[in-house]
Amino acid sequence: MTAPPIVRFTDVHLDMASDAGMVNILRGITLEIAAGEIAAVVGPSGAGKSSLMMVAGGLERATSGRVEMVGRDLGPLDDDARARLRCENVGIVFQGFHLIPTMTALENVALPLEFAGRPDAFDAAQGALERVGLGPRLSHYPAQLSGGEQQRVAIARAFVGRPRLLLADEPTGNLDGSTGRKVMDLLFEMARADAATLILITHDMTLAGRCDRIVRVADGLVVGDRRPAAGSVLAAQ
Amino acid sequence: MALAAKLARREMRSGLGGFRLFLACLALGVGAIAAILSFSRAIEEGLRADARELLGGDVAISLLYREATPEQIAFLRAQGPLVEWVDSRSMARPAHPGGTAALVQLKAVDPGYPLYGRVELRDGRSLPDALARRDGVWGAAVEEAALKRMNIALGELVKVGDATLQVRAVIEREPDSGLSAFASLGPRLMMPLAALDESGLVQPGSLLTWQYRLKLPPGRSDREVAAAIKMRFPEAGWRVRDLGEAGGGIRFWLDRLTEFISLIGLSALLVGGVGVGNAVSSFLAGRMRTIAIMKCLGSPQRLIFATYFIQLGTLALLGVAVGVALGAALPFVAQSLIAGLLPVKARIALYFRPLATAAAFGLLVSMLFALVPLIRARGIPAASLMRGTPVERRRLGWRDIALVAGMALLLAGFTIETAESQRIAVYFVLGALGAFIAFPLLARGVMVAAARAGKPRLASLRLALANLHRPGSPTPIVMLSLGLGLTVLVATALIEGNLREQITQRIPKDAPAFFFVDIQSTQMPEFEQTIGAIPGAGALDKVPSLRGRIVKLGGKPVSEVAIPPGARWAVDSDRGITYATTVPEGAHVVAGTWWAADYRGPQLVSFDETLARDFGLAIGDTVTVNVLGRDIEARIASLRHIDWQTLAINFVMVFSPGILDRAPHTFLATVRARPEAEDAIFKAVTEKFPNVTVVSVRDAVRTASEVLDNIGLATELIGLISILAGILVLAGAMLATQRRRIHEAVVMKVLGATRTRIAGIFAWEFLALGLATALAALGVGTLAAYFVVRHLMSLQWTFLPMVAVAVAVGAMALTLAFGLAGTIAALRQRPLALLRNE
Repeated sequence: MTAPPIVRFTDVHLDMASDAGMVNILRGITLEIAAGEIAAVVGPSGAGKSSLMMVAGGLERATSGRVEMVGRDLGPLDDDARARLRCENVGIVFQGFHLIPTMTALENVALPLEFAGRPDAFDAAQGALERVGLGPRLSHYPAQLSGGEQQRVAIARAFVGRPRLLLADEPTGNLDGSTGRKVMDLLFEMARADAATLILITHDMTLAGRCDRIVRVADGLVVGDRRPAAGSVLAAQ
Repeated sequence: MALAAKLARREMRSGLGGFRLFLACLALGVGAIAAILSFSRAIEEGLRADARELLGGDVAISLLYREATPEQIAFLRAQGPLVEWVDSRSMARPAHPGGTAALVQLKAVDPGYPLYGRVELRDGRSLPDALARRDGVWGAAVEEAALKRMNIALGELVKVGDATLQVRAVIEREPDSGLSAFASLGPRLMMPLAALDESGLVQPGSLLTWQYRLKLPPGRSDREVAAAIKMRFPEAGWRVRDLGEAGGGIRFWLDRLTEFISLIGLSALLVGGVGVGNAVSSFLAGRMRTIAIMKCLGSPQRLIFATYFIQLGTLALLGVAVGVALGAALPFVAQSLIAGLLPVKARIALYFRPLATAAAFGLLVSMLFALVPLIRARGIPAASLMRGTPVERRRLGWRDIALVAGMALLLAGFTIETAESQRIAVYFVLGALGAFIAFPLLARGVMVAAARAGKPRLASLRLALANLHRPGSPTPIVMLSLGLGLTVLVATALIEGNLREQITQRIPKDAPAFFFVDIQSTQMPEFEQTIGAIPGAGALDKVPSLRGRIVKLGGKPVSEVAIPPGARWAVDSDRGITYATTVPEGAHVVAGTWWAADYRGPQLVSFDETLARDFGLAIGDTVTVNVLGRDIEARIASLRHIDWQTLAINFVMVFSPGILDRAPHTFLATVRARPEAEDAIFKAVTEKFPNVTVVSVRDAVRTASEVLDNIGLATELIGLISILAGILVLAGAMLATQRRRIHEAVVMKVLGATRTRIAGIFAWEFLALGLATALAALGVGTLAAYFVVRHLMSLQWTFLPMVAVAVAVGAMALTLAFGLAGTIAALRQRPLALLRNE
């Protein structure tokens, strides 16, 4: 018996205006990601991976088709309703970290909990930072942290609200190999520990091989969907 | 240097896009100063060119209370053609019964008047023709307002004292009207000097001024003749002026006003300077990579400094040029609007000096404010290319600090050097320096307070508070830029408000309704009876009035006593004096003792304490006063502090009774009245006592308010320019943080914040910032205004809460509007473009 899907795309299209006219970024994606699944989305540059993630997280509105997240149809929801849904269910990690440079590590991590109105925002944020090994760096500003540390702050921020869905867009793209590996170990470990669904955008096949499932995207379409042998994930670890 | 110029030229290829605010700030400030100085110069030129007309001759002689002696007249006539007239405030009333009397500025002229220029009458006829005696009736020419006040038409008869005159012409322009053109209690009425005798207004002690004007043959120096006149009659007690003193009153006002307004203009430029500094900082921040690359390639610091100095200097020249052009053009445009308000014809032209001064101010200010960012940019390390933005800004070395201080000193020196009153300019410089120190400190205080404010339960408020004190927060720059502009506005509004308060509000509730001047002793019983019969009229408060001239102070002739210029008026000519048995109302004895009510001993006098201090007089010293040709020596028995604001009649010198009560004298009187009785009093007095001048306190207050309105308008306009400069700077500061705000808004969206939540956070932040800025500006502005009102103007101080509220609300509205305008733009941003992997 499989768990109900946490993300469901049905014939999703995304068009965007550009200087050269309309660009069809997603051209009919149909895809389900089950709760607790760790899925990699792979494909060449410009295939539409990041756009797929943005649409899944409700950050972009699909031009057509149906997008469901945690069982809710995103279509009729306005920006604010989607923001609330995100606040309660989704954590996001970017390649460029996207920390607010004028806030300390602690403030950055506490922010989503503050939006959710949690009175224990700062305690929880401190716990999350300790979990990623940054307990002594609470009051540091992003510019005072290394790239790996900044990404760990971003991971702490993504996990602090115990989200059901975790979106990670090339989280190691700006990091060196060994730091990247450590960051990914942390990400996998935390996702599994929290039983969260993880959608990992990457072009690194070794990394993808550590996931339960690999979805291949090209030219705005899903062109492959396979599950590596369970052993390979363990082997990669 | 050539390489630097070449590099600068290459860099400037990218256009002026980022420099619009830089140019606007500079052009606005320079334009304001250039316009003010040009206009003032144009008026000054007008004064100079029309000096003979304004003075009414080459040499002017004025005598208060009495006519010149035949011997004096003969001496004057020997110098050249002489004209004579008499100035007075008098009542004119329609000859037909039931007409309304009006207070007029009487000018009784002899046929030779005016020596220079001409009195322009509306129908184009000549003054002698209008004033000539026809069918036994003298003519009169009046300002239009006189017709309205008396409700009469041309051709009707009016009475001035006992003289009957036919009003034949309307005066359009009077060449020597001077300040009275816009600050007088009544309209002008011109009549022949010959008719004055018939009026019966000339009585001993009447408040009349005899005026004499001399026309000198070509080649005679007006200054030498004036000196000769003073030398020949040292005891005459007259005021002698040469052409250099023409338009003296106007010039005094003009100088004060120009000074005041140009200092406000300079504040606008200083506020703009903050904008210049911001623009330069953000421009150089954008060039950090370029500078680091140049360093990597081996460029010395000096080359980098020179490259950007040339660029910024070129831009500053451009901004200054635009400002100078604006400032030069403005007087031409405004000419027709202001012409009616000015007592002289302004000679609008392109004057080099005011424009050069404004340009110099612009260059000095832009250099001063660009210097710090330039010095910092020079020191950007090559390694920053690899490490990214350095977190800490480098501290300036002592040489750099000396350079900046030197520049500031240069600006301060120039400000003081070019000012009319160096004392006021020094205070201004100190005040500006104080503000530039106070605002960053206050901003630091606000940031510390925000950091320590704890964590409010409301998350938006908590985040907003945090935004106030984070590194890179706009708190210091917003507080400085908006705060300086607001401070100028608060200070000018409070100073003006206090002046207005002084004139309109501080008149005591029981102030008299009317002053009556020149009541003859013989008329007094009937006068009292008349007033007493009017319901609603209070008791008549009467004071005997004589005239006398101080000839000796402490036994020494006045000419041998060193008297400060501010007190010379009291010895230059005849003054009003009185005698009394009790201390006059509105004054109290601060030294010595008042004489007993039945005192009949040697002559005593009570002296005004301020004037006594100026004269160096103390209790027991003697003062000799010439009254009707007789020297009376009196010993100072007491000093009085006079509160002139009670509007009770007061004299500098009050004598003990004994000698003076036997001399012929007139009376001054005041009466308190219920408002509904005022018309009846005015009518009864003007009908029964044509020689008595009636001054309505209500009218006097209104006239003063009108003058203040015009001055207030000018200062408010310039004050608004400094706010405009502040807004420009504020907009610039907001723009500089806009990229950061957009990023924050997008990240907050990603983390699940709704638009209302994000807008709420920013709104709280801007409200708090606006409030803090307003409070700071109120504090600093009030302090400045208090200093000016109390110490420079020596007036009483009142805090005006409405000004405070208006400023606080205005500042919050402004910051909120600008902040939210940026926030809305930030909220519209689609996340994808910003968050995509690079």
